[in-house]
Amino acid sequence: MALSRLSATLRLLWRERIFYAFVAPFAVITILFGIWPILLSIQVSFTASATALRATPTWVGFANYWTIFADPLFTTSLWRTLVYTGLSVVANLAFALALAVLLDSTLLRRGNMAIRVALFLPVVTPDVAGYVVWRWLFDRSFGAVNAGLDMLGLPAFGGLSSPATATAAILIAELWHHSGFYMLIFLANLAIRDKQLEEAAAIDGATPWQIWRLIILPQLKPALLINAVYATIQFLKTFTVVVVMTKGGPNDQTNFVSYYAYQLFDQGRYGEATAMATILFSIIIVLSLSMLWISERSGTK
Amino acid sequence: MRCLTGLTGLVAAGMLATAPVHAQQLTIWHDLGDNGIAWFQRMGEEFARTRPGVTIRSQSFPTEQWFGRVIGAINTDSAPDLIFNNYERVIRVQSQTNRLLDMRPVLAASPDRTFLGEAELRVATYRNRMLIIPIQRVQMALGVRKSWLDRAGEPFPQTWDDVQRVARKFKENPPPGSTAANTFGFALQAARPRDLIHMLDLFVFGSGLEHTLIDPAGTITIDRPAHARVLQEFLRTYTSYGFVPPDTINHSFTEMYQVIEGGRAGMFRVGDWNVRRWEQPNTLGGDFVVGPWPRFEAGRENAVVAGGMRGVAIPENSPNRQLAQDFARFMLSQPAQQASLEVMGAFVRNDLNVSALTPLQQWFARAQHRLVPSDFPEATHAWYPELEAAFHRRLLTGIANPPANGDWSAFITATAQEMREAAQRLSRNN
Amino acid sequence: MTRRRARRLLLGALAYTAALLVALVFLYPYWWMLVGAFRRTRDVLSNPLRLVPEQIDFGVFGEIARIGGVDLWVYGVNSLLITSASTAVSVAITALGAYALVRRPTLPGFKLLRAGFLVTIMYPYMLLLIPVYVVMFKLGLLGTYAGIILFLALGPIQFFLFEQFFRAIPPAVIEAALIDGASEVTILTRIVMPMAAPVVATVTLITFLLNWSQWFPILVISRASDTYTLPVALLSMNTELGSNFQGIMALAVLTTLPPAILFVIAQKRVMAGMAQGAVKG
Repeated sequence: MALSRLSATLRLLWRERIFYAFVAPFAVITILFGIWPILLSIQVSFTASATALRATPTWVGFANYWTIFADPLFTTSLWRTLVYTGLSVVANLAFALALAVLLDSTLLRRGNMAIRVALFLPVVTPDVAGYVVWRWLFDRSFGAVNAGLDMLGLPAFGGLSSPATATAAILIAELWHHSGFYMLIFLANLAIRDKQLEEAAAIDGATPWQIWRLIILPQLKPALLINAVYATIQFLKTFTVVVVMTKGGPNDQTNFVSYYAYQLFDQGRYGEATAMATILFSIIIVLSLSMLWISERSGTK
Repeated sequence: MRCLTGLTGLVAAGMLATAPVHAQQLTIWHDLGDNGIAWFQRMGEEFARTRPGVTIRSQSFPTEQWFGRVIGAINTDSAPDLIFNNYERVIRVQSQTNRLLDMRPVLAASPDRTFLGEAELRVATYRNRMLIIPIQRVQMALGVRKSWLDRAGEPFPQTWDDVQRVARKFKENPPPGSTAANTFGFALQAARPRDLIHMLDLFVFGSGLEHTLIDPAGTITIDRPAHARVLQEFLRTYTSYGFVPPDTINHSFTEMYQVIEGGRAGMFRVGDWNVRRWEQPNTLGGDFVVGPWPRFEAGRENAVVAGGMRGVAIPENSPNRQLAQDFARFMLSQPAQQASLEVMGAFVRNDLNVSALTPLQQWFARAQHRLVPSDFPEATHAWYPELEAAFHRRLLTGIANPPANGDWSAFITATAQEMREAAQRLSRNN
Repeated sequence: MTRRRARRLLLGALAYTAALLVALVFLYPYWWMLVGAFRRTRDVLSNPLRLVPEQIDFGVFGEIARIGGVDLWVYGVNSLLITSASTAVSVAITALGAYALVRRPTLPGFKLLRAGFLVTIMYPYMLLLIPVYVVMFKLGLLGTYAGIILFLALGPIQFFLFEQFFRAIPPAVIEAALIDGASEVTILTRIVMPMAAPVVATVTLITFLLNWSQWFPILVISRASDTYTLPVALLSMNTELGSNFQGIMALAVLTTLPPAILFVIAQKRVMAGMAQGAVKG
């Protein structure tokens, strides 16, 4: 019985061999450079750092996990990562939605495409190059942001010089880099909405705000959802902006999990670093899956 | 299918194209940038005279990348032949990998070692193993912009009171085209543990004291009266005095150098290796004078700080171990050291020709000023880096929330207490 | 009627002001970068707002002609080579892979592969540092172009764009060909790929733009700066001996220019493609 099932499977594999051939390079690369390193990373998180890369590592169970959760710096870092992600997702989506609505309106006909290009350009700009500039724009004493504020008679912005404002500063720099992408998704969604509903509502005497709130916004649910998932994954992984602009400072304010773990890597503390990676990874999976699940339950595609 | 064949071909071609072709190449990883690359290039040419066919390939990484690269490579048996860096950084590599060669036999086989002093060899030794062969002494003096001093009508500051007065005058008389808002007395760094404590080292040892945080017996020193005074003024320098740009809390080497080279600060640290670059017209154009660090109290002799030693180390899994040892020894030879002096401004031999150097370079090269070496707590206490990181975190928290009345005494007492507990805990665990 | 027109005019003026303001703020860093490449550090730090450089002097490009012991043009060629090759590999393998997964979603292992791929793209890749290093070392690909190119060949948007396109092909088209006795290879090369030409073009463009910006995997897989690309060189420009501020800005300009030009030329296709790839993902 089992034998005949096996031979049936083998026959199926042989018959469909051409599709296996098609998929083979993709599969090989995914396994070699995606799945294998991830499994290796998870494996390392259960070993002692000093032996982690040897042929016979010492297994330590969950010791690395206990260590990092006993480290107040990590728990603070995790908390700040989550707060930063929350703030960034909201800020980026709100800003991108506002821009999309503005660009979608009939008020902006001429030059519309040029403005879109300007707002999307940072998305395809190498992030390293962009953040190198932002780093100095924000400088409290020598930067253009404060020189500009000073010229307008506005109070100075602390930027990267104080823990209180550093989060805001890198949030703005990341907003510059990413929001064009989210805007684009909203614009695509706005373009395929049913405009007849709005015309009908306008004839019924609905105010523009009512139309927007009750007719347009509900139709934007798919874009909102996609953007929320993308942005959550994106900002939980926040890394380059920290490397270029703050190195985790000032006073560990922007020492988010990905950067903290990276620093531990550099010190050869592989066990703890991969334990952090695994935790961050689990959070990303759980958050994105639950967002998808919630949206499916509420009936959106 | 054609795509697949094409792909395989591409991969194969790529692998062939990048396969190593040099049989006798020594790779050395350092963090000295283009100057360092030029220096190794020159030494490589010299070395090839006696070793035909051998090439030296040096690779410079930014300091923060250097650690991770070296540690990762040693741990995965993909190490370079040699590594070159400051001694305390090599110690950290050793404490994470425990796979650096003992250099004592290597040095013993060299004719060029009489000029290395007892203290220098002691400094190079960690847990009964000589980790580096010392190649360059690292001297760090106080630098002051000459034209700024002239404008302020001040001589080179000798005491801490002088420094404060000069710093205020610098802000009051900014250079032409600048304002008080973007002109500062000092350029310092603080972002990472070594950044801030390195600055404190200069203030402490330069003022004639010893031991920044902990002495060899393991006692915390920061709340001893003389030390507390320096620390208090050091913290005020970052905060209430307004001597440094507010962004300094987040400045590392890069930003500190940009502030100095951008002409925004009147006083700063000058390492012997900085002089050449700062004599160029597109940086400071030689418009600075150097001298010892300020004195904090009468009767104590201030000094230039010897912030340790740069040297060469060899991983146990170095691919060409024998040749690597030969090259390490060669780095002490007269031609290699002369190249080091001329390209980098630092050296350990005492028989080099300094006549071709500029006066500023000669000031360091002749070393006629009082030179005090800072200590290496990590050589005595393996857990020191962790203590230092905790101390740094504590100081940065303080700098981010300074006391309203500018009196740091309570902060220093509390920090000392905390450091004592931390030191006890760390030494127990290790 | 005139009141409504006046209102509309006012609203239009407001909309334009807002949009232009945001656009200017978004473009300002580029201008600052460009001007910064021509200004001396001390000028930039004392007067950061100046909109035109004090002098136009290309001398800075001489200063950065060699960075970290490697000629600047090598970084440029690496950028071009690595980005083009990884784009070609990416388009080829992702197209084939997505095609097979769409045509036969239920074959043994196919669902697992798709799930594995999705998990891979969710992983914080910067934390794969050591594992990827180890894998590359074990495969003998450490420090090679091949290692870098293959690692950069995986990407979510490419996959989703192809998957979505292949799903939209009417089954009848393929069935008809099968009835005519065409082999799967013929169907792919003669029927599907010609139809997919626009998608291939879009994916190629987008992959090129995205891979040009990559720096971290390249840094990790490289053994020496010979295989660095422009963004990696930019990040490695400061050492303990000092950092050339003006040079950093000049290199930033060189790093930014190629993708910016490419994007402006192909703006419609890039933006439409990006939106599509994301929306159905």
